[in-house]
Amino acid sequence: MTSEPGRLAVWNAWLASVAEEMGITLGLTAHSPNIRERRDYSCGVFDAEGRMVAQAAHIPVHLGAMPEAVRAVQALAPWQPGDVAILNDPFLGGTHLPDVSLVAPVFFRGVLVGFVSNRAHHADIGGMSSGSMPVASELIQEGVVIPPLRLVNGGIFNNELFALILRNTRTPDERRGDFEAQLAALRTGEQRLTGLCERYGLAVVRDMMDTLLRYTERLTRAAIEDIPDGEARAEDVLEGPAGELFPIRARVRVSGSEVEVDFAGTSPEQEVSLNAVAAVTRSAVGYCIRCLLPRGAPANEGSAWPITILLPEGSLVHARSGRAVSAGNVETSQRITDVVLAALRQLLPRTIPAASAGTMSNLTFGGRGPGGAPFAYYETIPGGAGAGPSRDGLSGVQTHMTNTANTPVEAIESGFPVRIRRFELREGSGGRGVHRGGDGVVKEVEFIVDANFALIANRYITAPQGVDGGEDALHGQAAIVSQDGTERNLPPLSHGRMHAGATLRIETPGGGGWGPPPSPPMSGP
Amino acid sequence: MPQLIGVDVGGTFTDFLSFGPDGVRAWKRLSTPLSPEIAVLAGLDGVRPERLVHASTVATNALLERRGPRTVLITTEGFRDVLEIRRQTRSELYDLEPTRRPHVVARGDTIPVHERMDAAGLPVIELEEREIAGVVQQALAIGAETFALSLLFSFRNPAHERRLAAALRAAGLDVSVSHEVRPEYREYERASTTAVNAFLRPVVRRYLGNLAASHPGVRIMQSSGGLASSALTSERPVTMVLSGPAAGVLGAIAVSAAAGYNDIITFDMGGTSTDVALCTGGVPQYRSATDIDGLAVHTPVVDVVTVGAGGGSIASIDRGGALEVGPQSAGADPGPACYGRGGPATVTDANLALGRLGTAPKLAGTMALDVTQARAALGELGDPAEMASAIVEVVNANMARALRAVSLERGFDPAQFTLVAFGGAGPLHACELAEEVGIPCVLVPGLPGVLSALGMVTAPESVERSAGILMRLDAGDAAARLRAAAEDLRQRTIDELRSEAVPVERVLWAADARYAGQAHEIRVNLEQPEAEAIAAAFHEAHERSFGFSAPDRVVEIVALRARAVGPLPPSPLRPLDSPPRPPARGEAADSPVTVIERVDLGPGSVMKGPAVVTQDDATTWVPARWAGHVDAYGNLILEPSP
Repeated sequence: MTSEPGRLAVWNAWLASVAEEMGITLGLTAHSPNIRERRDYSCGVFDAEGRMVAQAAHIPVHLGAMPEAVRAVQALAPWQPGDVAILNDPFLGGTHLPDVSLVAPVFFRGVLVGFVSNRAHHADIGGMSSGSMPVASELIQEGVVIPPLRLVNGGIFNNELFALILRNTRTPDERRGDFEAQLAALRTGEQRLTGLCERYGLAVVRDMMDTLLRYTERLTRAAIEDIPDGEARAEDVLEGPAGELFPIRARVRVSGSEVEVDFAGTSPEQEVSLNAVAAVTRSAVGYCIRCLLPRGAPANEGSAWPITILLPEGSLVHARSGRAVSAGNVETSQRITDVVLAALRQLLPRTIPAASAGTMSNLTFGGRGPGGAPFAYYETIPGGAGAGPSRDGLSGVQTHMTNTANTPVEAIESGFPVRIRRFELREGSGGRGVHRGGDGVVKEVEFIVDANFALIANRYITAPQGVDGGEDALHGQAAIVSQDGTERNLPPLSHGRMHAGATLRIETPGGGGWGPPPSPPMSGP
Repeated sequence: MPQLIGVDVGGTFTDFLSFGPDGVRAWKRLSTPLSPEIAVLAGLDGVRPERLVHASTVATNALLERRGPRTVLITTEGFRDVLEIRRQTRSELYDLEPTRRPHVVARGDTIPVHERMDAAGLPVIELEEREIAGVVQQALAIGAETFALSLLFSFRNPAHERRLAAALRAAGLDVSVSHEVRPEYREYERASTTAVNAFLRPVVRRYLGNLAASHPGVRIMQSSGGLASSALTSERPVTMVLSGPAAGVLGAIAVSAAAGYNDIITFDMGGTSTDVALCTGGVPQYRSATDIDGLAVHTPVVDVVTVGAGGGSIASIDRGGALEVGPQSAGADPGPACYGRGGPATVTDANLALGRLGTAPKLAGTMALDVTQARAALGELGDPAEMASAIVEVVNANMARALRAVSLERGFDPAQFTLVAFGGAGPLHACELAEEVGIPCVLVPGLPGVLSALGMVTAPESVERSAGILMRLDAGDAAARLRAAAEDLRQRTIDELRSEAVPVERVLWAADARYAGQAHEIRVNLEQPEAEAIAAAFHEAHERSFGFSAPDRVVEIVALRARAVGPLPPSPLRPLDSPPRPPARGEAADSPVTVIERVDLGPGSVMKGPAVVTQDDATTWVPARWAGHVDAYGNLILEPSP
């Protein structure tokens, strides 16, 4: 190939398409609605040193977390062709237990080229409640913990390990289908990567992997240089199950083409699932910087190199082994994003929008259907996006660290013993302003059989904030409405039993407004 | 031979192609976007051909520009924002201010209906007569020109939709009904398709009405590659939104089938975008789901993959030092740098600087291109020669991705296919692309500029209807339900085609199926609409596409599709009777590249690369190591030389 600019563009496209094609296979063959309809999965390509060179991510929370998985499985080296490693241990390469990662080494003519990996959110991985997103006090309650292990050893499938994992979930058949899809996606990635080696040779592939990492680093440094040097602090809170408010604090320092983010002063880790492992925090910080990069920039590890992250050990943003973490991935990550963006907003005025809903509003439920078959369901419910300098925030949309689609009502009701009574925008929940924050939604789920549920949400006490005089959004709320019409409000993190005929009503927060709202017309005398 | 005319209404030109006793004739008129039928009628100039076939981007443009009447959605209470929330995702993951194009129904422009069906098609909340009266009253009070009606689970049991639609129509309202437009599951996709149909109806009805008034037999090209009457198309205009790309694919099939090539990949590269499609045995692949401008539009369409890059795509260097080509395009004004109007460096400039456009290239045969301007613009990015090569490599890499997407990723081996290149820039990039992807042969049609019009006059009449079923094939009543659905579909499609006064040649079957528990379905073609055939076809398709299948697992059907097809019109293409010519000789003696005028070529002409073959509507680049000949139909056949 002729020139460096051309090589960068072409190889960026090729390596990205290896990851994308893995994603297509995984999405098209997966069984659970959670993976296929909601696209709660990511795929990555890694070099022989385990550095991520391309990623097809549908949700940003996987961005910085996948490299940890590939690093963690290196304990299993040496590799041979036909190996596949599996893990979900949040303290050994994982994030929270439902996200199960598979990693396979890729060989070309007997030489290790790199690794392909994918991570998918399984709708149940055991533990104390259906859907494995409980309000837990320690990790062991949240599901089966899988440290890095070989699921396939030189092409020989480890049936015993697989049986042990499936036996510890509530919906083994669905899990089997989803794991098969993950394995198929690895094969796709392996074929595409070795295909590149056949066409261009191993040396060129290796060289381009390295070149693309440095290219992304340059793009990131250029974006950081656009931020005026300086230091800013921001603080926000996470809400606990009893209404506790846990502070998240960040100091962001920009100097030239580098950023340092220090979370000193953040709340200590807790005996509730809000703890985030370091990988989640790195993903959230990486997401904030990544939003400043031009569209089409490669998703690889080079973007992390100019960023230094200081994490106090034993805090909510860097939990220690054994802590419950299921909500750290989905709720704490959103608040970390809010805090880092709030600090960046001081350094970059008129660029960063107001706060978005700030919660993924995770609903899990499960039990046994009318015919006795077990079921487990998981979804996240959208909110409003914060208004920005150029436009209103979107309504009813996934924001920041997630982008999972909804499962159609006609799919949910065909597969699960529930009825969705209402799923529409929550009028007026976005903050007013020159630009309005987006509205959240109202979702009502009526249960046809008795079932367990868990609701992991936030922003039920504090509201997403407006910016520059824009008003705050409405905070969220949830209630159980029993058949006789009595209502019981739920705290932001709750679990329990739903009786047949009762309805769970969830109202999600909107986004904050931007700029002072137009004043209402003066009323006459 | 009776006279056939194909008319293709584009944004700038309306193209006419006539086959008749006096041979083949092509001509153009400037389009009249406000009333497209004016240019069509003027171009026909009173001629009344035996067969007039028409395709247009009128519906497409109305949708893209959201230029149409106020459209109101009538839907189940509790779900009024289904078109706002959509699938609740944003299109860009890393965008501080994410945005979405508005739907055709404004937020809040919705009438909720107190009713509810469940997943089994049983009413949970009955639709009362007084509720119907209330909805009709509200609709009349709103006074919108067009309405979309989409109730939950109407694909399972349309009883509520039927009653409400009857009442709305009795009140004189124009209503598109979801179980008629797309009776399949997924409430957002069904409502969105129905709303787009409602939005397009008044626009298309007016325009096709005017056309049909002078040419009552006019046939309208559909996104599925079939033809339908103006009356049916006015009822369901959403089925013509992607007819443009479909017509090009059919034209490519007509040309290559006549020349004896049945397995082809079409490669239509224009100024701003490129369309790629794979066809086996002279039949394109189909799909039933697509997104247009952020809106779900689910109708049967020829499976065309579009890449946002073409001859006008702008090249630039980003801050990390990588070359970017597209998706921004220089458009017609200022156009590429070589137009001499201060435009940026584009793919066309790169080809010009590399000498691939010949010695004295002209735009559309008239305006001379300025190679000095092209080199200057390329020079702003780096060394002009190096940049020109790099731009072509980058754009080829993007195209190769699309070619692999329609072939390898769907389990087809490119080595078994011929690449049919057309559009202004297609033949320029075809040989290198074929090499890159492993396609052994390239075909450049004699008249690459009028393939769409050719596709129209060779398209069969067809009617496709579907039934959303959502049923495991091991269900006790599976066979009975399938039989009932198939019989109903067979009867409806045959009746509809006959009502168009078209004899039915055959009924083709397809099913959307998946493993029970999977959430994504694959479309498979069937010999017969029976459970065993569906399962067998599905296992095979799954194996081919994803490398594994699970024959012991239960298959679930999501939708059954029937397509009644009329007889294929005879191909108007005939072998040329010009005598064989000697090998082509170029004029540029001082260059290693031979420049050949296409008009100097005839059946039997041969050439060796590197060579440039020029004609008014396209230029072909034959690289070194490639050789070509002209076949009996005037097609250029290019292959690597042995």
